[in-house]
Amino acid sequence: MNMAAFRGVYLWDVTPEGAGMTMKADAKGLEILESCAQRTGCQMEILDRGGLPVLLRRLRGRQVWSMGLLLFASGLYLLSSFVWSIQVEGNERLETERLLLTCREMGLRPGVWKKGVDPAQITEGLLSAFSDLSWVSVGVKGTGVTIHLAETIEKAEVVDRDTPCDIVASEDGVILQITAERGTPLVKVGDVVKKGDVLISSALTIGLEGEEQHTEYTAAEGAVTARIWKRLSGELPLQYKEKSYSGIEKENRSILLQGREIDIVRPNSRLQWEKEIMDEQWLSLGDFRLPVCVKTENWREYTLQEKTRTAEEAKKLLEKELGQRAEEILSPHGRIENIVFDFEEYADSVRGEAVLTLLERIDEKTNGSVKD
Amino acid sequence: MGLRKNMAEALELPKEIMLNLPLITLVGREEITIENYKGILEYGAEAVRIGTAAGTLQMKGRNLCLKQLSAECVVVTGQIEELRFLT
Repeated sequence: MNMAAFRGVYLWDVTPEGAGMTMKADAKGLEILESCAQRTGCQMEILDRGGLPVLLRRLRGRQVWSMGLLLFASGLYLLSSFVWSIQVEGNERLETERLLLTCREMGLRPGVWKKGVDPAQITEGLLSAFSDLSWVSVGVKGTGVTIHLAETIEKAEVVDRDTPCDIVASEDGVILQITAERGTPLVKVGDVVKKGDVLISSALTIGLEGEEQHTEYTAAEGAVTARIWKRLSGELPLQYKEKSYSGIEKENRSILLQGREIDIVRPNSRLQWEKEIMDEQWLSLGDFRLPVCVKTENWREYTLQEKTRTAEEAKKLLEKELGQRAEEILSPHGRIENIVFDFEEYADSVRGEAVLTLLERIDEKTNGSVKD
Repeated sequence: MGLRKNMAEALELPKEIMLNLPLITLVGREEITIENYKGILEYGAEAVRIGTAAGTLQMKGRNLCLKQLSAECVVVTGQIEELRFLT
């Protein structure tokens, strides 16, 4: 052992075993070790061979196995060179979807080649796209991209009380109520105003009557409620088509690969089906979502049937529809006072018109300009 | 030897190189590394003797094992109970 060690053979894990010893040596030192054993009259026996070179030599005999190993390794490498997930951290006001959409426009989305992602470019793009970002850091780690960001301090809504401005009417109407917080009210209850008329003036007359008076301008503020009128119209044909379901339902599964749908087995396409997405299951590798999705749809067979309705039915439907539309145009402060319907019957359709009487706030601030 | 020793001391040079002495490093009582040794004189699970320029170093203990053996150093692991220079 001394001889071998001094000749440069590296020995390790030497353990005594009965009269002899077992030890480990590298393959290169084996020859020297043999000659040392011969010269010192020791008997040498190789118990086992191990390590990477031996493993490789053994693998030469198992080509399919080593091919599989190689395929697995290259598959792992290939899959790990894509971006599979994008995470956004640190956003409170900005929506994650909006940020991700902007990233997508810049070419960063799940499934993209990792080498093609330029963090500096994404950082700059995000900073220029969102003004309320103060700091962005894009990090690529493994198959995930993490975007850390810091938002700017939220700006308080500034109520400008210094720049003089008037309050004008945003609609034509009859004034029902006027409350002037600041400024001089120019209209009274019952007055008819047109869009753009000054309701509360910014001009304030300072000084008692009979004494010297002067005018100052202020930012007018107040609420003005008025009765306003609006017209809505709609038309409904008397003949229409309606879906009639046969009651046959089928389940259809398809695979979504990067947004492209692959549907191998599908129900008879000659019939008409109404599709309804039941479930979208994304495949994932651990935490990483793959761009593959299994979509389950419920297909219901239907036929289109010609149907007719009477003018009365059409009027009722129109009334309902116009009423709904009136609710939609209403502001949060407003309410509907009255709706008057007027219908015109034609040979194949019914036209309806609704005159809405609404109670709405019509005050609107002029942008810093003052009307004399 | 005397001159070399004085020189090494005066110039603050490492003595193990100047005087060809072994450098013995003990890690707790479970591992001992001996650099610049001359040869292994005895080896067993209870006792190991290693020849060095400073004399024969005898280690006694339990489950002693030669972890590494190369031209420069020997590493012995196990429960070391006694270290002694025999000559």
